[in-house]
Amino acid sequence: MKCDSCQEKATVFYTQVTEGKLRKFVLCEACAQKKGITNVDDLLMGGDMLGNSPPQTKIQDLVAELNQEDCNACGFTLDDFRKVGRLGCPECYHVFSREIEERLPSMHKGGVHKGYLPEGVAMKQALKSELACLADKLESAIGDERFEDAAMIRDQICKIEKKKGVVEP
Amino acid sequence: MRFATLLKHPADWMTGHGEETSVVLTSRVRLARNLSKSPFPGWSRKKDREGVYLSLREKLESVPGMKDGFSHELCDLDPLQKQVLVERHLISREQAARSEGSGSVVNRKQTLSLMINEEDHLRIQAIRPSLQLKDAFKLAHAVDQRLEKVVDFAIDPTLGYLTACPTNLGTGMRASSMLHLPGLVLSDQIGPVLKGINKLGLAVRGLYGEGTESLGNLFQISNQSTLGESEGEILDRLTKVISDVALYELQARKKLMTEDSIMVRDRIGRAAGNLSYAHIITSKEALNHLSMLRLGADLTLLPADLVESCDLLFMETQPAHLQWRAGRKLEPEARDMIRAQMIREQLQSSLPPAIDLSGKES
Repeated sequence: MKCDSCQEKATVFYTQVTEGKLRKFVLCEACAQKKGITNVDDLLMGGDMLGNSPPQTKIQDLVAELNQEDCNACGFTLDDFRKVGRLGCPECYHVFSREIEERLPSMHKGGVHKGYLPEGVAMKQALKSELACLADKLESAIGDERFEDAAMIRDQICKIEKKKGVVEP
Repeated sequence: MRFATLLKHPADWMTGHGEETSVVLTSRVRLARNLSKSPFPGWSRKKDREGVYLSLREKLESVPGMKDGFSHELCDLDPLQKQVLVERHLISREQAARSEGSGSVVNRKQTLSLMINEEDHLRIQAIRPSLQLKDAFKLAHAVDQRLEKVVDFAIDPTLGYLTACPTNLGTGMRASSMLHLPGLVLSDQIGPVLKGINKLGLAVRGLYGEGTESLGNLFQISNQSTLGESEGEILDRLTKVISDVALYELQARKKLMTEDSIMVRDRIGRAAGNLSYAHIITSKEALNHLSMLRLGADLTLLPADLVESCDLLFMETQPAHLQWRAGRKLEPEARDMIRAQMIREQLQSSLPPAIDLSGKES
Protein backbone atom coordinates (compact mmCIF):
# COMPACT_ATOMS: atom_id res chain seq x y z
CA MET A 1 0.00 0.00 0.00
CA LYS A 2 1.26 3.48 -0.83
CA CYS A 3 1.59 6.49 1.48
CA ASP A 4 -1.25 9.06 1.18
CA SER A 5 1.34 11.82 1.04
CA CYS A 6 4.18 10.71 -1.18
CA GLN A 7 3.51 7.38 -2.90
CA GLU A 8 6.27 5.64 -0.92
CA LYS A 9 5.53 2.30 0.74
CA ALA A 10 3.23 2.88 3.71
CA THR A 11 4.20 1.52 7.12
CA VAL A 12 2.10 3.65 9.50
CA PHE A 13 -1.62 2.91 9.55
CA TYR A 14 -3.78 5.23 11.60
CA THR A 15 -7.53 5.03 12.16
CA GLN A 16 -9.38 7.83 13.87
CA VAL A 17 -12.99 8.01 15.04
CA THR A 18 -14.33 11.52 15.36
CA GLU A 19 -18.00 12.29 15.90
CA GLY A 20 -18.89 8.77 14.91
CA LYS A 21 -16.98 9.04 11.61
CA LEU A 22 -14.23 6.58 10.85
CA ARG A 23 -11.16 7.88 9.02
CA LYS A 24 -8.15 5.90 7.92
CA PHE A 25 -4.73 7.32 7.09
CA VAL A 26 -1.88 5.45 5.56
CA LEU A 27 1.60 6.98 5.70
CA CYS A 28 5.21 6.08 5.19
CA GLU A 29 7.53 6.47 8.15
CA ALA A 30 9.13 9.69 6.90
CA CYS A 31 5.79 11.41 6.31
CA ALA A 32 4.44 10.18 9.63
CA GLN A 33 7.48 11.65 11.35
CA LYS A 34 7.04 14.92 9.48
CA LYS A 35 3.53 15.07 10.88
CA GLY A 36 4.84 14.50 14.39
CA ILE A 37 3.74 10.89 14.72
CA THR A 38 6.82 9.16 16.03
CA ASN A 39 5.33 6.32 17.99
CA VAL A 40 1.99 4.94 19.00
CA ASP A 41 2.29 6.28 22.53
CA ASP A 42 2.33 9.83 21.23
CA LEU A 43 -0.97 9.22 19.57
CA LEU A 44 -2.56 7.41 22.45
CA MET A 45 -1.47 9.84 25.10
CA GLY A 46 -2.26 12.88 23.07
CA GLY A 47 -3.10 15.76 25.36
CA ASP A 48 -5.09 13.80 27.93
CA MET A 49 -2.48 12.10 30.02
CA LEU A 50 0.39 14.53 29.80
CA GLY A 51 -1.66 17.66 29.56
CA ASN A 52 0.38 18.46 26.45
CA SER A 53 -1.42 19.86 23.50
CA PRO A 54 1.25 19.64 20.76
CA PRO A 55 0.74 16.02 19.65
CA GLN A 56 -3.01 16.48 19.61
CA THR A 57 -2.72 19.64 17.52
CA LYS A 58 -0.44 17.88 15.11
CA ILE A 59 -2.88 15.06 14.65
CA GLN A 60 -5.67 17.52 14.07
CA ASP A 61 -3.53 19.34 11.52
CA LEU A 62 -2.81 16.07 9.83
CA VAL A 63 -6.48 15.18 9.69
CA ALA A 64 -7.34 18.60 8.33
CA GLU A 65 -4.55 18.43 5.76
CA LEU A 66 -5.38 15.00 4.51
CA ASN A 67 -9.06 15.86 4.31
CA GLN A 68 -8.31 19.11 2.55
CA GLU A 69 -9.10 18.08 -0.98
CA ASP A 70 -10.73 21.30 -2.16
CA CYS A 71 -9.58 24.90 -2.19
CA ASN A 72 -12.12 26.90 -0.19
CA ALA A 73 -11.61 29.94 -2.38
CA CYS A 74 -12.21 28.35 -5.79
CA GLY A 75 -13.25 24.70 -5.35
CA PHE A 76 -10.20 23.32 -7.17
CA THR A 77 -9.19 19.87 -5.93
CA LEU A 78 -5.84 18.20 -5.37
CA ASP A 79 -6.95 15.64 -7.91
CA ASP A 80 -7.47 18.40 -10.50
CA PHE A 81 -3.95 19.64 -9.84
CA ARG A 82 -2.51 16.15 -10.21
CA LYS A 83 -4.35 15.77 -13.52
CA VAL A 84 -3.64 19.12 -15.19
CA GLY A 85 -0.54 20.40 -13.37
CA ARG A 86 -2.09 23.85 -13.03
CA LEU A 87 -3.88 25.51 -10.14
CA GLY A 88 -7.29 27.09 -9.70
CA CYS A 89 -6.46 30.37 -7.96
CA PRO A 90 -3.66 32.07 -5.98
CA GLU A 91 -5.08 30.64 -2.72
CA CYS A 92 -4.50 27.09 -4.04
CA TYR A 93 -0.77 27.65 -3.43
CA HIS A 94 -1.47 27.65 0.32
CA VAL A 95 -4.03 24.85 0.28
CA PHE A 96 -1.92 22.44 -1.77
CA SER A 97 1.44 23.74 -0.55
CA ARG A 98 2.79 20.32 0.38
CA GLU A 99 2.13 18.80 -3.04
CA ILE A 100 3.47 21.89 -4.82
CA GLU A 101 6.64 22.10 -2.73
CA GLU A 102 7.44 18.49 -3.60
CA ARG A 103 7.35 19.35 -7.29
CA LEU A 104 9.33 22.61 -7.21
CA PRO A 105 12.85 21.11 -7.16
CA SER A 106 12.27 19.41 -10.51
CA MET A 107 11.08 22.69 -12.07
CA HIS A 108 13.24 25.42 -10.62
CA LYS A 109 16.76 26.33 -9.49
CA GLY A 110 15.52 27.03 -5.96
CA GLY A 111 12.42 27.13 -3.81
CA VAL A 112 12.58 30.73 -2.64
CA HIS A 113 11.86 33.81 -4.73
CA LYS A 114 14.94 35.99 -5.19
CA GLY A 115 13.61 38.33 -7.83
CA TYR A 116 11.77 41.61 -7.87
CA LEU A 117 9.05 42.34 -5.32
CA PRO A 118 6.99 45.53 -5.19
CA GLU A 119 8.14 47.90 -2.44
CA GLY A 120 5.34 47.14 0.05
CA VAL A 121 5.77 43.37 -0.24
CA ALA A 122 9.57 43.61 0.03
CA MET A 123 9.27 45.80 3.16
CA LYS A 124 6.82 43.37 4.75
CA GLN A 125 9.20 40.50 4.04
CA ALA A 126 12.18 42.38 5.52
CA LEU A 127 10.22 43.16 8.69
CA LYS A 128 9.14 39.54 8.98
CA SER A 129 12.70 38.24 8.88
CA GLU A 130 13.82 40.95 11.34
CA LEU A 131 11.05 39.86 13.72
CA ALA A 132 12.07 36.21 13.45
CA CYS A 133 15.67 37.16 14.24
CA LEU A 134 14.64 39.26 17.27
CA ALA A 135 12.38 36.46 18.56
CA ASP A 136 15.41 34.15 18.59
CA LYS A 137 17.47 36.78 20.44
CA LEU A 138 14.66 37.29 22.96
CA GLU A 139 14.48 33.58 23.67
CA SER A 140 18.21 33.27 24.30
CA ALA A 141 18.23 36.45 26.45
CA ILE A 142 15.47 34.97 28.63
CA GLY A 143 17.28 31.63 28.72
CA ASP A 144 20.47 33.38 29.91
CA GLU A 145 18.44 35.41 32.40
CA ARG A 146 19.60 38.66 30.78
CA PHE A 147 16.30 40.33 31.56
CA GLU A 148 17.38 43.89 30.77
CA ASP A 149 18.40 42.80 27.28
CA ALA A 150 15.17 40.87 26.95
CA ALA A 151 13.12 43.97 27.80
CA MET A 152 14.99 45.98 25.18
CA ILE A 153 14.45 43.31 22.56
CA ARG A 154 10.77 43.12 23.48
CA ASP A 155 10.45 46.89 22.94
CA GLN A 156 12.14 46.54 19.55
CA ILE A 157 9.69 43.79 18.61
CA CYS A 158 6.75 46.00 19.64
CA LYS A 159 8.07 48.83 17.46
CA ILE A 160 8.39 46.55 14.44
CA GLU A 161 4.96 45.03 15.02
CA LYS A 162 3.57 48.56 14.89
CA LYS A 163 5.49 49.33 11.69
CA LYS A 164 4.24 46.07 10.20
CA GLY A 165 0.71 47.15 11.01
CA VAL A 166 1.27 50.26 8.89
CA VAL A 167 2.58 48.21 5.97
CA GLU A 168 -0.09 45.57 6.33
CA PRO A 169 -3.41 47.37 6.10
CA MET B 1 -6.32 51.06 -33.72
CA ARG B 2 -7.78 48.78 -36.35
CA PHE B 3 -6.27 45.40 -37.16
CA ALA B 4 -5.41 46.58 -40.68
CA THR B 5 -3.52 49.59 -39.30
CA LEU B 6 -1.52 47.36 -36.97
CA LEU B 7 -0.45 45.19 -39.89
CA LYS B 8 0.30 48.05 -42.24
CA HIS B 9 3.84 48.44 -40.96
CA PRO B 10 6.31 45.79 -39.87
CA ALA B 11 7.47 45.98 -36.25
CA ASP B 12 10.95 47.46 -35.73
CA TRP B 13 12.17 44.14 -34.36
CA MET B 14 11.10 42.36 -37.56
CA THR B 15 13.65 44.15 -39.71
CA GLY B 16 16.59 44.38 -37.32
CA HIS B 17 16.31 48.15 -36.90
CA GLY B 18 20.00 48.64 -37.60
CA GLU B 19 21.08 46.19 -34.89
CA GLU B 20 23.53 43.31 -35.33
CA THR B 21 21.17 40.46 -36.22
CA SER B 22 23.30 38.03 -38.22
CA VAL B 23 22.64 35.29 -35.64
CA VAL B 24 20.29 36.58 -32.94
CA LEU B 25 17.19 37.97 -34.63
CA THR B 26 14.99 38.98 -31.70
CA SER B 27 14.78 38.94 -27.90
CA ARG B 28 11.52 38.57 -26.01
CA VAL B 29 10.69 38.80 -22.33
CA ARG B 30 7.31 38.06 -20.83
CA LEU B 31 6.13 38.48 -17.26
CA ALA B 32 3.17 36.45 -15.94
CA ARG B 33 0.95 38.26 -13.43
CA ASN B 34 -2.35 37.42 -11.75
CA LEU B 35 -4.95 39.23 -9.70
CA SER B 36 -4.89 38.11 -6.07
CA LYS B 37 -8.62 37.65 -5.63
CA SER B 38 -9.72 35.94 -8.86
CA PRO B 39 -9.49 32.33 -10.01
CA PHE B 40 -6.97 31.77 -12.82
CA PRO B 41 -8.47 32.05 -16.36
CA GLY B 42 -8.38 28.28 -16.96
CA TRP B 43 -10.54 27.66 -13.87
CA SER B 44 -12.81 30.70 -13.88
CA ARG B 45 -16.33 31.20 -15.14
CA LYS B 46 -16.97 33.27 -18.22
CA LYS B 47 -18.50 36.00 -16.06
CA ASP B 48 -15.34 36.22 -13.90
CA ARG B 49 -13.10 36.32 -16.95
CA GLU B 50 -15.13 39.11 -18.53
CA GLY B 51 -14.94 41.07 -15.26
CA VAL B 52 -11.14 40.65 -15.14
CA TYR B 53 -10.88 41.58 -18.82
CA LEU B 54 -12.87 44.80 -18.45
CA SER B 55 -11.04 45.95 -15.35
CA LEU B 56 -7.58 45.14 -16.74
CA ARG B 57 -8.21 46.49 -20.23
CA GLU B 58 -8.95 49.96 -18.94
CA LYS B 59 -5.77 49.99 -16.85
CA LEU B 60 -3.60 48.62 -19.67
CA GLU B 61 -4.86 51.11 -22.19
CA SER B 62 -3.83 53.95 -19.89
CA VAL B 63 -0.20 52.78 -19.76
CA PRO B 64 1.93 55.34 -21.67
CA GLY B 65 2.43 54.32 -25.25
CA MET B 66 -0.55 51.95 -25.25
CA LYS B 67 -3.22 54.62 -25.60
CA ASP B 68 -3.41 54.77 -29.38
CA GLY B 69 -2.45 51.11 -29.79
CA PHE B 70 -4.37 48.02 -30.80
CA SER B 71 -6.84 46.72 -28.20
CA HIS B 72 -9.39 44.01 -28.92
CA GLU B 73 -11.26 41.24 -27.21
CA LEU B 74 -10.37 37.96 -28.95
CA CYS B 75 -14.03 37.26 -29.79
CA ASP B 76 -13.94 40.37 -32.04
CA LEU B 77 -11.20 38.82 -34.18
CA ASP B 78 -11.76 36.12 -36.79
CA PRO B 79 -9.60 32.95 -36.77
CA LEU B 80 -7.36 34.33 -39.53
CA GLN B 81 -6.65 37.56 -37.64
CA LYS B 82 -5.84 35.57 -34.50
CA GLN B 83 -3.45 33.40 -36.49
CA VAL B 84 -1.73 36.49 -37.90
CA LEU B 85 -1.14 37.72 -34.34
CA VAL B 86 0.29 34.30 -33.41
CA GLU B 87 2.64 34.41 -36.41
CA ARG B 88 3.78 37.85 -35.24
CA HIS B 89 4.29 36.50 -31.71
CA LEU B 90 1.89 39.16 -30.38
CA ILE B 91 -0.43 36.56 -28.85
CA SER B 92 0.33 32.95 -27.97
CA ARG B 93 -1.15 29.88 -29.66
CA GLU B 94 -2.93 29.15 -26.40
CA GLN B 95 -4.55 32.57 -26.34
CA ALA B 96 -5.67 32.28 -29.97
CA ALA B 97 -7.96 29.44 -28.88
CA ARG B 98 -9.79 31.80 -26.49
CA SER B 99 -12.53 34.29 -27.24
CA GLU B 100 -14.81 36.13 -24.76
CA GLY B 101 -13.02 37.69 -21.82
CA SER B 102 -9.59 37.33 -23.38
CA GLY B 103 -7.91 40.33 -24.94
CA SER B 104 -4.86 41.63 -26.70
CA VAL B 105 -3.44 45.13 -26.18
CA VAL B 106 -0.47 46.01 -28.41
CA ASN B 107 1.37 49.31 -28.79
CA ARG B 108 1.76 50.99 -32.17
CA LYS B 109 5.40 49.92 -32.57
CA GLN B 110 4.48 46.31 -31.63
CA THR B 111 7.26 46.26 -29.07
CA LEU B 112 4.84 45.69 -26.17
CA SER B 113 2.08 43.15 -26.20
CA LEU B 114 -0.21 42.69 -23.20
CA MET B 115 -2.29 39.51 -23.11
CA ILE B 116 -5.34 39.48 -20.86
CA ASN B 117 -6.65 36.10 -19.67
CA GLU B 118 -4.23 33.87 -21.47
CA GLU B 119 -3.04 31.10 -19.12
CA ASP B 120 -2.58 33.86 -16.52
CA HIS B 121 -4.68 36.98 -16.00
CA LEU B 122 -1.97 39.12 -17.53
CA ARG B 123 1.13 38.54 -19.56
CA ILE B 124 3.35 41.51 -20.29
CA GLN B 125 5.58 40.85 -23.30
CA ALA B 126 8.31 43.04 -24.76
CA ILE B 127 10.18 42.32 -28.00
CA ARG B 128 13.47 43.89 -29.16
CA PRO B 129 15.68 43.16 -32.16
CA SER B 130 19.02 41.27 -31.75
CA LEU B 131 20.36 40.08 -28.39
CA GLN B 132 18.81 42.68 -26.08
CA LEU B 133 17.14 40.61 -23.38
CA LYS B 134 17.89 43.19 -20.70
CA ASP B 135 16.33 45.99 -22.76
CA ALA B 136 13.27 43.83 -23.37
CA PHE B 137 13.05 43.16 -19.63
CA LYS B 138 13.33 46.88 -18.84
CA LEU B 139 10.40 47.60 -21.15
CA ALA B 140 8.20 44.91 -19.60
CA HIS B 141 9.30 45.79 -16.06
CA ALA B 142 8.35 49.44 -16.53
CA VAL B 143 4.81 48.39 -17.47
CA ASP B 144 4.71 45.97 -14.52
CA GLN B 145 5.79 48.68 -12.07
CA ARG B 146 3.20 51.05 -13.38
CA LEU B 147 0.42 48.49 -13.15
CA GLU B 148 1.28 47.29 -9.65
CA LYS B 149 0.20 50.70 -8.34
CA VAL B 150 -3.35 50.14 -9.57
CA VAL B 151 -3.67 46.33 -9.66
CA ASP B 152 -3.45 43.99 -6.66
CA PHE B 153 -1.19 41.24 -8.03
CA ALA B 154 -1.04 37.79 -6.39
CA ILE B 155 2.33 37.67 -4.61
CA ASP B 156 3.73 35.45 -1.91
CA PRO B 157 6.91 36.79 -0.26
CA THR B 158 8.51 33.31 -0.43
CA LEU B 159 7.17 32.04 -3.75
CA GLY B 160 7.09 35.38 -5.57
CA TYR B 161 4.46 35.98 -8.24
CA LEU B 162 1.80 33.25 -8.15
CA THR B 163 0.96 31.82 -11.56
CA ALA B 164 -1.61 29.36 -12.93
CA CYS B 165 1.16 26.85 -13.61
CA PRO B 166 3.89 26.37 -10.97
CA THR B 167 6.48 26.23 -13.77
CA ASN B 168 6.16 30.05 -14.05
CA LEU B 169 6.25 30.75 -10.32
CA GLY B 170 8.57 33.33 -8.75
CA THR B 171 9.69 35.93 -11.25
CA GLY B 172 6.99 34.84 -13.70
CA MET B 173 9.60 35.68 -16.31
CA ARG B 174 10.26 33.76 -19.50
CA ALA B 175 13.00 35.30 -21.62
CA SER B 176 13.86 33.98 -25.07
CA SER B 177 15.84 34.81 -28.17
CA MET B 178 15.31 33.67 -31.74
CA LEU B 179 18.54 32.46 -33.35
CA HIS B 180 19.35 31.73 -36.98
CA LEU B 181 21.81 28.82 -36.95
CA PRO B 182 22.41 27.62 -40.54
CA GLY B 183 26.17 27.23 -39.97
CA LEU B 184 25.72 24.80 -37.07
CA VAL B 185 23.05 22.87 -39.01
CA LEU B 186 25.13 22.61 -42.24
CA SER B 187 28.22 21.49 -40.31
CA ASP B 188 26.20 18.90 -38.32
CA GLN B 189 27.11 20.51 -35.01
CA ILE B 190 23.61 21.55 -34.05
CA GLY B 191 22.77 18.33 -32.14
CA PRO B 192 25.57 18.57 -29.56
CA VAL B 193 25.05 22.34 -29.19
CA LEU B 194 21.32 21.90 -28.46
CA LYS B 195 22.09 19.10 -26.03
CA GLY B 196 24.58 21.34 -24.24
CA ILE B 197 21.98 24.10 -23.95
CA ASN B 198 19.48 21.64 -22.45
CA LYS B 199 22.07 20.47 -19.95
CA LEU B 200 22.44 24.05 -18.74
CA GLY B 201 18.77 24.01 -17.78
CA LEU B 202 17.65 26.09 -20.75
CA ALA B 203 15.00 25.14 -23.30
CA VAL B 204 15.38 25.08 -27.09
CA ARG B 205 12.27 25.22 -29.23
CA GLY B 206 11.19 25.78 -32.81
CA LEU B 207 9.82 28.91 -34.46
CA TYR B 208 6.52 29.09 -32.58
CA GLY B 209 7.52 27.85 -29.16
CA GLU B 210 6.71 24.72 -27.25
CA GLY B 211 6.11 21.64 -29.37
CA THR B 212 6.85 23.32 -32.69
CA GLU B 213 9.33 22.08 -35.24
CA SER B 214 12.43 24.02 -36.17
CA LEU B 215 12.06 25.50 -39.65
CA GLY B 216 14.41 27.75 -41.56
CA ASN B 217 17.22 26.89 -39.11
CA LEU B 218 15.48 29.12 -36.56
CA PHE B 219 15.69 28.16 -32.88
CA GLN B 220 14.35 29.77 -29.72
CA ILE B 221 16.42 29.53 -26.56
CA SER B 222 14.71 30.35 -23.25
CA ASN B 223 15.02 29.94 -19.49
CA GLN B 224 13.08 27.12 -17.84
CA SER B 225 13.52 27.94 -14.17
CA THR B 226 11.71 31.04 -12.93
CA LEU B 227 12.14 30.59 -9.15
CA GLY B 228 15.29 30.73 -7.02
CA GLU B 229 17.19 33.24 -9.12
CA SER B 230 16.66 36.97 -9.65
CA GLU B 231 15.61 38.32 -13.05
CA GLY B 232 19.14 39.73 -13.49
CA GLU B 233 20.77 36.36 -12.80
CA ILE B 234 18.46 34.58 -15.24
CA LEU B 235 19.03 37.20 -17.95
CA ASP B 236 22.82 37.18 -17.44
CA ARG B 237 23.00 33.40 -17.68
CA LEU B 238 20.78 33.32 -20.75
CA THR B 239 22.65 36.17 -22.46
CA LYS B 240 25.98 34.43 -21.82
CA VAL B 241 24.76 31.11 -23.30
CA ILE B 242 23.15 32.81 -26.31
CA SER B 243 26.33 34.87 -26.98
CA ASP B 244 28.34 31.64 -26.85
CA VAL B 245 25.97 29.89 -29.28
CA ALA B 246 26.15 32.93 -31.59
CA LEU B 247 29.93 32.74 -31.47
CA TYR B 248 29.88 28.99 -32.31
CA GLU B 249 27.57 29.77 -35.22
CA LEU B 250 29.90 32.44 -36.60
CA GLN B 251 32.90 30.11 -36.18
CA ALA B 252 31.00 27.32 -37.95
CA ARG B 253 30.20 29.67 -40.85
CA LYS B 254 33.83 30.74 -41.09
CA LYS B 255 35.06 27.14 -41.03
CA LEU B 256 32.52 26.10 -43.68
CA MET B 257 33.72 28.93 -45.92
CA THR B 258 37.34 27.84 -45.59
CA GLU B 259 36.86 24.09 -45.75
CA ASP B 260 33.70 23.55 -47.77
CA SER B 261 32.99 26.83 -49.47
CA ILE B 262 31.73 25.16 -52.66
CA MET B 263 29.02 23.28 -50.74
CA VAL B 264 27.89 26.50 -49.02
CA ARG B 265 27.87 28.44 -52.31
CA ASP B 266 25.93 25.60 -53.93
CA ARG B 267 23.27 25.61 -51.19
CA ILE B 268 22.92 29.39 -51.32
CA GLY B 269 22.87 29.44 -55.12
CA ARG B 270 20.21 26.74 -55.29
CA ALA B 271 18.10 28.58 -52.72
CA ALA B 272 18.42 31.83 -54.67
CA GLY B 273 17.50 29.98 -57.86
CA ASN B 274 14.47 28.31 -56.33
CA LEU B 275 13.18 31.48 -54.73
CA SER B 276 13.76 33.56 -57.87
CA TYR B 277 12.02 31.16 -60.23
CA ALA B 278 9.60 28.99 -58.23
CA HIS B 279 5.89 29.44 -59.01
CA ILE B 280 4.63 27.07 -56.32
CA ILE B 281 6.33 27.00 -52.93
CA THR B 282 5.21 25.70 -49.51
CA SER B 283 5.80 27.64 -46.32
CA LYS B 284 8.35 25.09 -45.14
CA GLU B 285 10.32 25.12 -48.39
CA ALA B 286 10.26 28.92 -48.48
CA LEU B 287 11.58 29.20 -44.90
CA ASN B 288 14.42 26.78 -45.60
CA HIS B 289 15.48 28.58 -48.81
CA LEU B 290 15.10 32.02 -47.22
CA SER B 291 17.39 30.82 -44.45
CA MET B 292 20.08 29.99 -47.02
CA LEU B 293 19.56 33.29 -48.81
CA ARG B 294 19.96 35.18 -45.54
CA LEU B 295 23.13 33.23 -44.86
CA GLY B 296 24.39 34.26 -48.32
CA ALA B 297 23.74 37.92 -47.53
CA ASP B 298 25.35 37.61 -44.07
CA LEU B 299 28.44 36.05 -45.70
CA THR B 300 28.46 38.97 -48.22
CA LEU B 301 28.06 36.51 -51.08
CA LEU B 302 24.78 38.26 -51.91
CA PRO B 303 23.64 41.92 -51.59
CA ALA B 304 23.35 43.03 -47.94
CA ASP B 305 19.80 44.40 -48.33
CA LEU B 306 18.62 40.79 -48.74
CA VAL B 307 18.87 40.32 -44.98
CA GLU B 308 15.97 42.67 -44.39
CA SER B 309 14.01 41.20 -47.32
CA CYS B 310 14.47 37.69 -45.89
CA ASP B 311 13.39 38.75 -42.40
CA LEU B 312 10.26 40.38 -43.80
CA LEU B 313 9.51 37.35 -45.97
CA PHE B 314 10.02 34.98 -43.00
CA MET B 315 6.93 36.67 -41.55
CA GLU B 316 4.95 37.74 -44.61
CA THR B 317 4.99 34.32 -46.28
CA GLN B 318 3.48 32.57 -43.24
CA PRO B 319 0.04 31.11 -44.06
CA ALA B 320 -2.11 33.57 -42.11
CA HIS B 321 -0.15 36.67 -43.17
CA LEU B 322 -0.44 35.54 -46.77
CA GLN B 323 -4.21 35.07 -46.61
CA TRP B 324 -4.65 38.37 -44.78
CA ARG B 325 -2.77 40.18 -47.55
CA ALA B 326 -4.82 38.35 -50.20
CA GLY B 327 -7.98 39.44 -48.37
CA ARG B 328 -9.51 35.97 -48.37
CA LYS B 329 -9.16 32.45 -47.06
CA LEU B 330 -7.04 30.37 -49.44
CA GLU B 331 -6.51 26.66 -49.93
CA PRO B 332 -2.89 25.53 -49.40
CA GLU B 333 -2.31 25.16 -53.19
CA ALA B 334 -3.39 28.73 -53.85
CA ARG B 335 -1.27 29.94 -50.95
CA ASP B 336 1.79 28.23 -52.41
CA MET B 337 1.32 30.10 -55.70
CA ILE B 338 0.81 33.49 -54.07
CA ARG B 339 3.77 32.86 -51.77
CA ALA B 340 6.05 32.12 -54.73
CA GLN B 341 4.87 35.26 -56.50
CA MET B 342 5.37 37.41 -53.43
CA ILE B 343 8.92 36.13 -52.96
CA ARG B 344 9.81 36.65 -56.64
CA GLU B 345 8.55 40.22 -56.50
CA GLN B 346 10.34 41.02 -53.24
CA LEU B 347 13.65 39.61 -54.50
CA GLN B 348 13.42 41.28 -57.92
CA SER B 349 15.37 44.37 -56.91
CA SER B 350 18.27 42.51 -55.24
CA LEU B 351 18.30 39.34 -57.34
CA PRO B 352 16.89 40.15 -60.78
CA PRO B 353 16.15 36.87 -62.62
CA ALA B 354 18.39 36.28 -65.63
CA ILE B 355 15.58 34.55 -67.52
CA ASP B 356 12.05 35.91 -67.70
CA LEU B 357 9.49 33.21 -66.96
CA SER B 358 6.62 35.52 -66.19
CA GLY B 359 4.93 34.68 -69.47
CA LYS B 360 4.30 38.36 -70.14
CA GLU B 361 5.05 39.75 -73.60
CA SER B 362 8.14 41.92 -73.46
